[in-house]
Amino acid sequence: MSKIRKQSEYEKTFAYRFFRWLGGEKDIFVGNMEMQPQKEYVEEEATIEERMKDRQQAMAEVYDGSHNMELRFFKILYKIFSVVFCIAIMAVLILTVSYLPEVGDPNRPTSNIVTETYISDGLGDTGAVNIVTGMILSYRAFDTFGETNVLFIATCCVMIMLMVDEDKIKKNKDSNDRGFEPKNDVILQVIAKFLVPIVFLFGIYIILNGHLSPGGGFSGGAMIGAGMILYVAAFGFDKTEKFFNEHVYKVIKVTALLCYGCIVTYYFLTGANGLECLILLGEPGKILSGGITLPINIFVGSEVACTMYAFYALFRRGGL
Amino acid sequence: MPAIEWIRFGLVVFFILFGLSIFFLEIFGVYRFKFVLNRMQIAATGDTLGIGLCLVGLMIANGWNAATAKMALVIVFLWCASPVSSHVIARLEYTTDETLMENCRIVTIEEAEAEGETENGDI
Repeated sequence: MSKIRKQSEYEKTFAYRFFRWLGGEKDIFVGNMEMQPQKEYVEEEATIEERMKDRQQAMAEVYDGSHNMELRFFKILYKIFSVVFCIAIMAVLILTVSYLPEVGDPNRPTSNIVTETYISDGLGDTGAVNIVTGMILSYRAFDTFGETNVLFIATCCVMIMLMVDEDKIKKNKDSNDRGFEPKNDVILQVIAKFLVPIVFLFGIYIILNGHLSPGGGFSGGAMIGAGMILYVAAFGFDKTEKFFNEHVYKVIKVTALLCYGCIVTYYFLTGANGLECLILLGEPGKILSGGITLPINIFVGSEVACTMYAFYALFRRGGL
Repeated sequence: MPAIEWIRFGLVVFFILFGLSIFFLEIFGVYRFKFVLNRMQIAATGDTLGIGLCLVGLMIANGWNAATAKMALVIVFLWCASPVSSHVIARLEYTTDETLMENCRIVTIEEAEAEGETENGDI
């Protein structure tokens, strides 16, 4: 049986301080760090006058182009040298390009064993007809996992900086200008009604066909996010809140990242240890094929779409 | 038939050169004009007419296949998107700029119909 410690004894332990810090009951900076509220900077009359005098003097004596020969000479020289510099850089770059090997040249240094292996074994290893998607989502799945994490962390940071509390909005109702925007534009609404379904459909098509044709999670997700931004710009946040609010956003983002991590870990564990993998590669060319490429494409796509929309919503009104 | 080929080549050159000259005018105008609505107008011209003409030239050069149909879709999409974005910019300028009256004259549709002229009306 565990012994219940006394309160005074418990307060000395590390666990007490840690949980108090975790719960936010005590700010560790208060009392330990010197803090002063920011003061408004007030300038004295004399310094303003002095500064104006200095400025007038400088404009009259130094920057007077008609009398200051040195300045005029410098300006002409500056123009000549800027043109010469730009032309020189352009010439160097164009010369460099002309010495580069041609595209598709078998003797160039980049076509080594890595490229050959990807092209010859890519379809058999990943099951994806589109070699690029098979490469970034199967061979380099952990690299793409890092990229998806970057997106997740970026939205978290933007949320920390830009998210506005609802009690603060209620408190400062008079000074809240987030609602004043040109809304209900008929022309934009008609076009959005016509374009948004097409954009959504095309984005979904690109995500689901990522292992068969050019495209994939990143481009398709960006397209869906752009469609949602267009919808918000035309119809306002009241309409989008019905199907996409903060709760849905959290669920989609966390689920996508977790599922991605689990799938990649399982795939790599079984592959590295020679175990049998439950995810079948399928018949190449069919929509349900490509092994882990298709589910990972879907997760990456939802992650990117949420990120795009969250950035727009956070920058526009400080909330999802 | 070389004659038809030559006519096609001429049409392609005409459309692409016309489109490129409009692009040149657009870039010149965007940096030359000072007032927002003028710049908006010239940018919208370049984005619709310039891209449209260039794509028509490329479509003629490409002949009848799937890529031509895709280019036609791109034209439709651009002609939906560019004028609407210009319209939104103009509307934002109209609602937020307090010194708008110094730069242009605002004519409502009724007034313009009464005067019998519409070319001076903004918005």
